[in-house]
Formats: sequence, structure tokens, C-alpha cells
Amino acid sequence: MHERLSFYIPRSSTLHQLNPLTKVTLTFTLIILAFFSPWYWTAPLLAVGVILPLSALGQVLRPYLSAAARLVLPAVAFIFVMQSLFLPGGQTVLVRLWLLEVTVESLSAAFLTTTRIFAMVSAFILFLLTTHPSHLMSDLTRRKLPAAFAYVIISTLQIIPQMQAKAQTIMDAQRARGLDTESGFIRRVQALTPLVGPLVFGSLVEVEERAIAIEARGFSSTRPKTSLHEIPDTPRDRAIRWVLLALIVLTFASKLWLS
Amino acid sequence: MAVLNLRNVTYTYPLTDAPVLKNVSLQVEEGEFVAVIGPNGAGKSTLCYAIAGFIPHFYKGELTGTVEVEGVDVRQTTLSERVLQAGLVFQNPFSQITGAKYTVYEEIAFGLENTGVPPDEMHRRIGQVMRLTGITDLAERSPYALSGGQQQRVALASILVMEPKILVLDEPTSQLDPIGAREVFAVIKALSEQGRTVVMVEHKVEWVAAFADRVIALDGGEIVLEGTPRQVLSAVELAGRGFGLSRYTLAAHEAEKQGLWPRGEPLPVTLAEAVAGFGRRGGKA
Repeated sequence: MHERLSFYIPRSSTLHQLNPLTKVTLTFTLIILAFFSPWYWTAPLLAVGVILPLSALGQVLRPYLSAAARLVLPAVAFIFVMQSLFLPGGQTVLVRLWLLEVTVESLSAAFLTTTRIFAMVSAFILFLLTTHPSHLMSDLTRRKLPAAFAYVIISTLQIIPQMQAKAQTIMDAQRARGLDTESGFIRRVQALTPLVGPLVFGSLVEVEERAIAIEARGFSSTRPKTSLHEIPDTPRDRAIRWVLLALIVLTFASKLWLS
Repeated sequence: MAVLNLRNVTYTYPLTDAPVLKNVSLQVEEGEFVAVIGPNGAGKSTLCYAIAGFIPHFYKGELTGTVEVEGVDVRQTTLSERVLQAGLVFQNPFSQITGAKYTVYEEIAFGLENTGVPPDEMHRRIGQVMRLTGITDLAERSPYALSGGQQQRVALASILVMEPKILVLDEPTSQLDPIGAREVFAVIKALSEQGRTVVMVEHKVEWVAAFADRVIALDGGEIVLEGTPRQVLSAVELAGRGFGLSRYTLAAHEAEKQGLWPRGEPLPVTLAEAVAGFGRRGGKA
């Protein structure tokens, strides 16, 4: 369980070889296009026509589909149902359910919102599947992102499974002393109280030790930092980023002109 | 010239009244292995922090006297430069993992990235320390998925790779099981044989006796006794002050009271010394 702490799937595809910043730009461009393009069908087209082929290009089609199906579809489906039922102001009633009515207008608005959310989340999933978190952070620190900021992001990602494991250990220890954690709902909530103290205070003590440990490794050094992984930033990367940037500008411009 | 030179060091932690180190003076020569023993609260960890620059750069408080490594006083340098001179490994293997890296190899590289070592040099040094600490086969594992002994060897490798002049070890095996402790001691022994300068706080008296050139007994923030392992570790008067002495020393001390230990022979620390001493007594009797 502790061996894999990120979504990242190692492959040697074109997408994997892109500079992490290019992939960050790509992700944000996709999201901005999905949300701000004046054309109604942009988001579904991006999801099917761009993100899906890109996941095939990145050789992560299968994990992409499974993540999209497990994580995104249920949430998106829920939002779709709620919006179609509750969005007010529709004229053309299709179905009437007691007090609620599904109208053509609410259906079309629900479709727009859900496809946008779907495009956004799946763009993120594609990014996480093809970008190693430490490569991203080395590249961003090379571009003058403060090292402390990068450290906080990466260590938070790693610390969650550690905290879960520690919480489980404390739970087991309390249970061994007769704490009831398995009967009714109220009892279970009460059982959480003796967990919080050791978990929170234990973690605070560990923070000091962790601070000493990273300082012992020269964390606050003012020397120019280097990186173990040399992350290439090719002319192709730069060209792609300019194109993406132009797309973002175009999207906002068309949004302004057409409204 | 001494690599490490502490002169009249007195230190008080912030918000406390009593000093934790009182007028401590200590010189360590290049290649020397110095062990520090003492009961809880004697100031052993504080001494380690002072050598590695955490006092006064990380823990503020009041420091008087000088702490020089290679002739540079701690106040004339920064913490991140000091750790390149004196590397610190401490007790808890888990909290020494940075949490910023996904593999052991990257974990060891962390300190080198921070201090601007070029990548080619990094690969060379990392390969070398991984062989030295016997963790080459763990290179691609997650540092969190290791045993305590393995994690502590990764922590040791991560400090060694920065090539500090002095290695400061603060009870490096106290949270490990016997197998893990033996793995870590084997590495420390190899380091000492290569002529590294080491200052190690350690409770396990028999290991201290096997490694150390010199032993410092610290109590209440003061150096109460200093000498060869045999001189210090067999000083039974320390047992009454909360020092953990070896069972061979204590047994021979009891025997001495009964006249069963050869007169004039220093008390033993290790099994071999005890066997030799009792053997001689047996021969005489």
C-alpha cells in the first residue's frame, strides 16, 4: 500500500516526455476552454476529441478510463440529475414529477455544467497519470518556485497514507484497552475523541523532528539548487506553450466580444 | 589541529532557567571516534545539536563559549553551511525521512539538491554511499516501505552523501530492534575503520567499548569523566548516577568486593575482558 503514493504511471510516451510545465499549461488551457468557450459543444468535444485521444497517446487509456468511470462519472451523474430537476425558469416541460419538472432548458444547462466538470476533472486525471509529482516539483523549483512551497505540496501528498496508518495504530491501541468502536453511531463518534489527541499532538511533535531532519540536509541553503532529474525543456515544449497561451487569449477574447 | 573544538560551552534553552550544558570543553582530532554516554537529561542530544549548528541557529536560547568545526565558530556560519561540516543523524528513523521523495535514491539526493551539487557528482556520490551502507538494492523502493534498520541506514546514507567532516550520531539505534541495530552498527564500524571522525551518543555500552577511541561521560550538563572506553565504562561509581554500565562490569565489581577479581586489574566492560580477568584469577587461585 505504501509503495504507490501517486497516480503516476511510468511510460515513455510523447506525453510523458513533455516538460511538466507544458502539461500544467495544457491542463489549464483545457479547463479554460471548457468553461469559457462561447460554443455550447466545446466541453464534450474536448473530453471525447482531445482528452481521450491524448490519454491513448500517453499510453494510459485504460487507467484513464477506469479513473474517469470510478471517480468522475458518479459525481457528474448526480450533478446532472439534480440540475435537471431543480434548475428553475424552464418553459418547455418534458416530464413532471410531483412538484418538480424537467424542462428542455434545465436539461441543456445541466448538460453544459456536467460536461464542463467532466472535462475539467478528466484533464486533471490525465495530468496526474502522466506527470511524476517530483518531476513537476523539481521543474517548478528550477523556475524559482520557492522550495518550501514545493516541499509542502509533495510532503502533504505523502503524509496522508502515513496519517491513516497512524490513526489505525492508535485505534487498535485504544481498542486493546477496551474502547468500544463497533456498536451504534453515537458510540462510534464518541470513540473518535481519544483518537484525535494522540494523532494531532503526536504529529505536532513529529513536525519539530522533521524540521530538524530537513535542515540537517541543507534545506535552507542559499546556494543555487540543483536537481537529480534533468527535466528537458525543448523548443517543442516552448512552442506548444505559446500555442496554448494563444488559445487561452483567444477564448477570453471571443467570450468578451460575443457577450 | 582538532577538527572539533568546544571551549567553555554553556547553553540554556529558551524559556528555561537552568543551563543544559555547563562549561563543556571538548576537542576531537581528525579520524577519532568519540562516544558520549550519560543518563537521561544529561544534555547529550543538546551537545549533538550544538556541534551540528542547530544551537543557536534552530534552537535560540543563550549560548556562551565557542563551538568550532575546522576552525569556524558556529556563529560565523549559517545552519545550512554548518551541516556540510557536521552531519547529524538522530534516533527516530521515521521522522528523518523527508517526505518529499518517492524513492530511496531520490531521498539520498535531497541534501545534494539543496546544496547545489551537480547531477553527475550526485550519481557518483549516491552510488558510493549506497554501497557503503548496504542499501543499493533498495534504491527504487519507497523510503516509507522499509524496516526501521533500513530506514536508519537510508538516513545515515543521506547525511554521509553530503560528505561532512564530522558525523554526529544521536542514539542512532535506540528505536531499532536488535537486528536493525546490528545492521546500523556494522555500517558505523565500517565508517570508523575508514578513518571518519565520529561523535556518537549511545547507551549500548558493549558497542561503545568496541568502537570508541575515547568516551565522555556527561551528567547534569557537565563532563564528569573522560578517557579510554575501559577507563570510563568500568567506573562503577557512575552506575549510582544513572549510567547504564555493562553487566560484566557490575558482575566483576561484585566479585571484586568478595576478593574474586584480580587485584589491580581494571574492571571489564566486554565479555572477552571479563573472561580474561576471571581466567587470570582462576589461574592464581
